[in-house]
Amino acid sequence: MAVPVNVAAAPAGPARTVSARHFVRLKLRVMGNNFRGQGWRIALFIGGALVGLWFAASGFFLFAAPGMSGNGRYAVLVAAAGGGLLVLGWLLLPLVFFGVDETLDPARFALLPLPRRTLVVGLFAAALVSVPVLAASLAVLGLVVTAWSLGGWSAGLVAVVGVLAGLLLCVAASRAVTSAFASMLRSRRVRDLAAVLLAVAAALLGPLQVFGLAALRETDWTRLTGVATVIGWTPFGAPWTAGIDVAQGRVWAAPVKLLITVVAVVALLAWWSRSLESAMVGTASRGKAPAQRGVTGGAVAQLFPRAANWARRDRFGALVALQARYWWRDARRRANLITIAVVGIFIPVLFNGGLSFTSGDEQGFNMGAGDSSPTLVTLSMIFVGVLASVTLANQFGFDGSAYAANVVAGVPGRVELRARMTAFSLYVLPMLAFVAVLLSVLLGRPGWIGLTAGSLAATYGAGLAVNSFVSVLAAYALPETSNPFAMNGGAGVAKGLLTVLSMGTTAVAAVPMVLAAALLGDAWLWLALPVGVAYGLGAALLGAYLAGDVLDRRQPELLATVTPRR
Amino acid sequence: MTGEHPALALRGLAKRFDGTIAVAGVDLDVPAGSFYGLLGPNGAGKTTTLSMAVGLLRPDAGSAWVLGQDVWRDPVAAKRLLGVMPDGVRLFDRLTGAELLAYHGLLRGMDPAVVDQRAAELLDVLALGDAGRTLVVDYSAGMKKKIGLACALLHGPRVLVLDEPFEAVDPVSAALIRDILTRYAAGGGTVVFSSHVMEVVERLCSHVAILAQGAIKRVGTIADVRGGRSLEQVFVEVVGGRTATGDELSWLSR
Repeated sequence: MAVPVNVAAAPAGPARTVSARHFVRLKLRVMGNNFRGQGWRIALFIGGALVGLWFAASGFFLFAAPGMSGNGRYAVLVAAAGGGLLVLGWLLLPLVFFGVDETLDPARFALLPLPRRTLVVGLFAAALVSVPVLAASLAVLGLVVTAWSLGGWSAGLVAVVGVLAGLLLCVAASRAVTSAFASMLRSRRVRDLAAVLLAVAAALLGPLQVFGLAALRETDWTRLTGVATVIGWTPFGAPWTAGIDVAQGRVWAAPVKLLITVVAVVALLAWWSRSLESAMVGTASRGKAPAQRGVTGGAVAQLFPRAANWARRDRFGALVALQARYWWRDARRRANLITIAVVGIFIPVLFNGGLSFTSGDEQGFNMGAGDSSPTLVTLSMIFVGVLASVTLANQFGFDGSAYAANVVAGVPGRVELRARMTAFSLYVLPMLAFVAVLLSVLLGRPGWIGLTAGSLAATYGAGLAVNSFVSVLAAYALPETSNPFAMNGGAGVAKGLLTVLSMGTTAVAAVPMVLAAALLGDAWLWLALPVGVAYGLGAALLGAYLAGDVLDRRQPELLATVTPRR
Repeated sequence: MTGEHPALALRGLAKRFDGTIAVAGVDLDVPAGSFYGLLGPNGAGKTTTLSMAVGLLRPDAGSAWVLGQDVWRDPVAAKRLLGVMPDGVRLFDRLTGAELLAYHGLLRGMDPAVVDQRAAELLDVLALGDAGRTLVVDYSAGMKKKIGLACALLHGPRVLVLDEPFEAVDPVSAALIRDILTRYAAGGGTVVFSSHVMEVVERLCSHVAILAQGAIKRVGTIADVRGGRSLEQVFVEVVGGRTATGDELSWLSR
């Protein structure tokens, strides 16, 4: 990555101080240089910006609704709930889907004589320059409109300050959390981390369900407003509700809430700056391999773990063995596996649980009482299958330039793709089986195991096929940093679009399973598993067959696109 | 069938990146059994040329043959004859040295027993056996070069193409690599390697080509190219450019 020289410090004489402005300019310059001569990148960027604008507009009208209608009753509710979701989104989405834009890699500043405070503030300022931040700020302007129309200009001004502080909070939270997770993932305590993440996800389920339950039961608005008031006093809601408090006569609350926000931002930045240091000095090899165990057996026996003694000792077997090792040894891939594990359990439980409450059943908290239908269950399973398979959308990007070894050896494309599917499935299929069983048990309908497992298998297989094509045709290079969540120069939006496209195609390919679940009735409960497995397996094999052909013709081009520019 | 073919033949290989010409039509014949040095300054197009010659980078124009097999028409046949060590390319470095060799061997369709035996010998000779369970990513730069060379040699290729094999290698390892390559060439193999270290090229090579600005400037046996002078003199004369500073940079000696 070319760092423009004109940003470097002054020549002789007393060194000029470096301020946040320099970082922002550097980021803009790097983003601009990334676009140079790459028309499609500009197009994707504009497309992403338009999508962001659309979300921003809908958010704006949602936030501005209480003010525009002149009805202040639900203003706190909208601000606290909407704002809280926004903060939560900034926290979780980078971890799960999009990665964090690391146009300015902290490691590149390691050799510059910069105080840590300057660096953190500078990187923070640079992080504020992005499309998502712009979209979010447009959306929360709606809160200013609400506060202004309910309480005049003084409330409006407080809302402006609150909203700005809230945006700072969002960005600081997302940076601090991804950075901390990244440094945890680099160390080899990953099993603990997976446990922690699962616990956090499980803990989130409770309050979210109470909230969703109350939201859908239209009678209980007062209780909901009570919940919103409480959220308003946490960092999740404080910045967004300050202006409305002024409008509704609680002037004393505004400075306190702003203080809560500022303290939260400062605390997050302090946390970030701690993990930033470990990212800069590169603790990649911290915790070297445990005491060198004696080498046993020949080279080939070492490549295949003892548990896989049955594996074929040939080209296919070697590819599977290597990819399987990489899914575990490479922090970036491991992060993806953990995401699948967490979200794969989290989403279907929430989806089926949450919607089953709409029936207004008195036994609300007991999930088994819900009226989840086979169609609904199939839909949630499709989501999990889509999510699991989309991880392979950039499977060659994970390899980076190391893929050259396979090109030099002239590996046939079909063997390559089949082996990669197999290695990934070694980890994912057990997880998916667990999700299928867990969900049908939680729903209190063990007879639906065939349904859940069948739709998962069908979607996952179709997803493998779709993503084989995506990975061969639309691969991109991942930056060579130690942060598994890092994305390359400002193109995060484009990658997000590509991910959504591939997920959409997979979902379409799985539509037959939904139709069958809706139309075939009880017979489908028996047929779903065999049909789903056959559909998935057939789709995956066909995908490898066809995409393998494309790969055979594109090997050098693929290698060029996944090799990071340096 | 391969007796009359050159080990490596390049015709009109050309490549441009984003409007700048990296390689502008390279013709080269590497006789079978020769020890061929490709010399050139930084950015001359050595890596680009070698990548196109072995099937890693598709040329805009031109063709390449390995012992008569067209690299771009019939890549599988050509790649079977080739052993390649690219430069600036990562290895699958989250494997141990032994695992990496096993991977390369099986990928080439070798018999597992042969892979085991050759991998053990290579690790032993290259003094990598002590590394044990250390992952390649934790190897030193010189060790990475050596394991890369081992991967290229494992399947007993007829032609060995090495990009910068002596870069970042300490003198002891360099001597070892030289010895291995000399033995390989003496046994009938062909070695093509790029370098900008004159001394190594002068000591090892039977043939030399000097590449600058994407074109071959001098080519032939080493005696022809030198013409009684030192290789470095010829190189500087061909490549041009300044080799000494003038009045600038006075602040360096403050």
